[in-house]
Amino acid sequence: MNTPTMNLKPLFMPRTHETTEGNKTGSWRYLRPRYEDKTSPCSTACPAGEDIARIEMLSAQGFFKEAWETILRENPLPGVCGRVCFHPCEGVCNREGFDSSLAIHTIERHLADTAARNDLKPALEKLASQPQKIAIIGSGPAGLSASWFFTMLGYACDIYEALSEAGGILRWGIPEYRLPAPVLRTEIGRIESQGIRIFTGKHISESELNKLRGNYSTVFMGCGYSRSTPLGVSGETSESVKDGLEFLRSVRQGEKPSCQGLSAVIGGGNTAVDVARTVIRLGGKAAILYRRRRQDMPAFAEEIAMAMEEGVALHELLAPGAIEAQGDQYKLILRKMKIEGQDKDGRGRIVPDGDKTSEVTVERIFTATGADVAEPWYNPPSDKSGAITLSHCQIKFDKEGIPLVYGGDLTNVTKNVTQAIASGKQAAMAIDTYFQQGRDAIESRLASCRVGDGLSLSMEVYMQGARRLRSSHIVQPEEINTDYFQFEARVVQPRLLVEERTGSFNEIDMRISANLAIREASRCFNCGLCNQCDNCYIFCPDVAVIRGRNMEDRHINFDYCKGCGLCAAECPRNAVTLEREGL
Amino acid sequence: MKRVLEGSHAVAEAVRLANVQVVSAYPITPQTHIVEIISDYCAKGKMNAKFIPVESEHSCLAALVGAQSAGVRTFTATSSQGLALMHEILHWVSAARLPIVMVDVNRALGPGWNIWTDQTDSLSQRDTGWIQLYCEDGQEVLDTTLQAFRLAERVNLPVMVVLDAFFLSHTYEPVDVPEQKEVDRFLPSYSPRFNLDTRNPYTLSPLVTPAFYMEMRHDMALAMDEAMTCFAEIEEEYAALFNRRYGSVEAVTCDDAEIILVTSGTITSTTRLLLEELRAKGEKVGLLKMKMFRPFPVEAVCRALGRAKKVAVIDRNFSFGAGGVFAQEIKAALYKLPVRPTVFGYIAGLGGRDVTTDILEEIYIKTRETDLPSQESIWIGLQEVKYAN
Repeated sequence: MNTPTMNLKPLFMPRTHETTEGNKTGSWRYLRPRYEDKTSPCSTACPAGEDIARIEMLSAQGFFKEAWETILRENPLPGVCGRVCFHPCEGVCNREGFDSSLAIHTIERHLADTAARNDLKPALEKLASQPQKIAIIGSGPAGLSASWFFTMLGYACDIYEALSEAGGILRWGIPEYRLPAPVLRTEIGRIESQGIRIFTGKHISESELNKLRGNYSTVFMGCGYSRSTPLGVSGETSESVKDGLEFLRSVRQGEKPSCQGLSAVIGGGNTAVDVARTVIRLGGKAAILYRRRRQDMPAFAEEIAMAMEEGVALHELLAPGAIEAQGDQYKLILRKMKIEGQDKDGRGRIVPDGDKTSEVTVERIFTATGADVAEPWYNPPSDKSGAITLSHCQIKFDKEGIPLVYGGDLTNVTKNVTQAIASGKQAAMAIDTYFQQGRDAIESRLASCRVGDGLSLSMEVYMQGARRLRSSHIVQPEEINTDYFQFEARVVQPRLLVEERTGSFNEIDMRISANLAIREASRCFNCGLCNQCDNCYIFCPDVAVIRGRNMEDRHINFDYCKGCGLCAAECPRNAVTLEREGL
Repeated sequence: MKRVLEGSHAVAEAVRLANVQVVSAYPITPQTHIVEIISDYCAKGKMNAKFIPVESEHSCLAALVGAQSAGVRTFTATSSQGLALMHEILHWVSAARLPIVMVDVNRALGPGWNIWTDQTDSLSQRDTGWIQLYCEDGQEVLDTTLQAFRLAERVNLPVMVVLDAFFLSHTYEPVDVPEQKEVDRFLPSYSPRFNLDTRNPYTLSPLVTPAFYMEMRHDMALAMDEAMTCFAEIEEEYAALFNRRYGSVEAVTCDDAEIILVTSGTITSTTRLLLEELRAKGEKVGLLKMKMFRPFPVEAVCRALGRAKKVAVIDRNFSFGAGGVFAQEIKAALYKLPVRPTVFGYIAGLGGRDVTTDILEEIYIKTRETDLPSQESIWIGLQEVKYAN
């Protein structure tokens, strides 16, 4: 049998052992690619400026501890925020236009729970100790955040808390079924383990504050808004109208106030919904009366939906007019409202619908229309002379130049947990800059730490971490090469059944598995961040992409890169920038 | 083992048996069934091959250029527009002396958009340096595909195995599928004459100056000539193992024939039927089946047709401004004979129109009744058309 190689005629064909490396195709180039990590829209929307694209990248690879530490660099309370933050990050997720946004808060909670379950200790960068000591009034999210970041920057912190346990609104204002006490205690425990001292049951009066200012280099005022604002209607007494926040606080202190019969809850925010749902859990009936419409309510839509599933009634376009006592009950006279035109914020403008009224007889009335400080002197002084007003806090200097910082609800336009955290962070950065470089440096130093030129600030950038190398360009949906992504459904949050919910204060949202968390995190586009997918390496027709052991080693061999731009076009996540040569 | 297979599946079985290592393909009707089966075999491990799905036929063949240069046996299949899109790389493959085997399922080119059989796609690639072998039935498809690898690797030229859309690609027939170990005796695993090697780096197909380009092309021409003789040897080896041979051409009752019909593809089978009928009536008619088109078997054609008075070439293809492609080639081949039969060129069955025994008989009678062809190409079975205003 012949073999195919027998009796073969030689081939006359061209072949050269000369290398083609002499042909420097790089000389043809008029466009130049550059590896440049950019800013994801979620991270700018996050008031705490969390590095979400990186958190998801690490989570998708199963590096839960590293992902958790990445959160902690910007936010000391992932267990809290994974549960109660309104996650504006998800609203701007580039994946939304593709299938649906990433469940960022669900992964955040998973990371926090995993860390708590395994009692993980974060390994975080901390600057050398500074001589200055910081006093913090109030242990709510603003105060906790301030203490965390001051400590990171090398300052010793003492927190003074009026109540018996730390946490502020997190401990006393948000119901257990949304934020269980053990979760908060774990977070606070971790903050304390950084060396922060928390003095509970230590109410600070105005005169004591002045004493503190002698013992500390800075005082941070994070006393929060702990009192509901009165309705301002006739017949309103401390007997007839109960403070919604006070009610929530009493329940979290272990009391079980009687809630028999129908309770009216006036307001449309999360406190109103929390009060109504707490009433349901205490065996009562609850009706939320709101002067606008459901779609105008500042409360989270999902919370409203769950409240209604649990039997809370919602009556729209009703404003409280007057209250009349009727034996043990109260007659609530309500003015009917209607929509006419639009407010500045785009919501429908409400006006009284003629003289129309309606009445409802209830056992008790809760007010949850807004909140205010418990003591008037908590507010920053109206005299702003010599003060520095920042986006999330205000700094006032006394005669000796000792700064007093007002933060959290006291200064935030939007009053919520993550804005309070942002405020604490901003305070730490501003005061550190003041100590190190002087007052005039504050504005520019803070500006250099902005995430994508937005209001959020990054402590990692402030501390000269790798994140400072990111471009501030915010990756737009059209800059994502969606050819490299497949449609995949967003993880569904597992929850207690309605029947399980209404009978107890057990946490409603259940844990998701590590598998589900990895799958969800894998949905992330990682907007603007190189995850070493190697598309550029595979597509480069000139073999000019040089990979290395790590991300920093990846580079382009400009001897041969002819600037075709394939690497930039095939990058799924806009981590390659193409620029005109010579610019 | 005899199995009832589609023509497409006969190709797939041959590719499986041929120990192909890399397959790349882009689907196109009527080729799709071939690569469906092959990709399934690759996925299930019935073939130890890498299947590379691509975004176009151009990329498909380019991918095989890379793979074959790296020293592995490769295969692809395409049709019509897909083959046309490969055109640039077809030239590259042959000049790079890469023994790639491809199946082309003959399909008409659009417009008018048409998925049915027509040989214009493959015949318009006649100058690309590929060997072309046309098949008549499922068994021949399987046998020819196996032989194609031997032939390609022997002369270092690519081979295109060609079959009719639907009439062959989608028709089930009994096909004898040989055992792997028998095929292995005929077609051992691939040992490349050259291949890229990172331990001894070199560049294939670099710049060639006028000083050498002609010699390079001449070497290809010699290889193409060699393919003609090699094909016969390879067929003999194949016949020794499997007892089947086809020849570069097949002459049926040509020795005493006055008129010989020249066919290719599945029209040949239909013509065989007519031939029996006509012979039974005492007509002196013969049939020449063209299997090999490149290299063109000039000697065999002259031998078969030299004694006839008239030759009727049936072309399921057309070269505008020139005529049927087989007719042109036959005429050119016969030119060397001192006394030549008159060649009638017939155009039939374009775009998948059926070529029945009635049509073939009409062609035969037209040829018999006319001394000289009325036209260069006689279009058979044309309907009257109504033109839009």
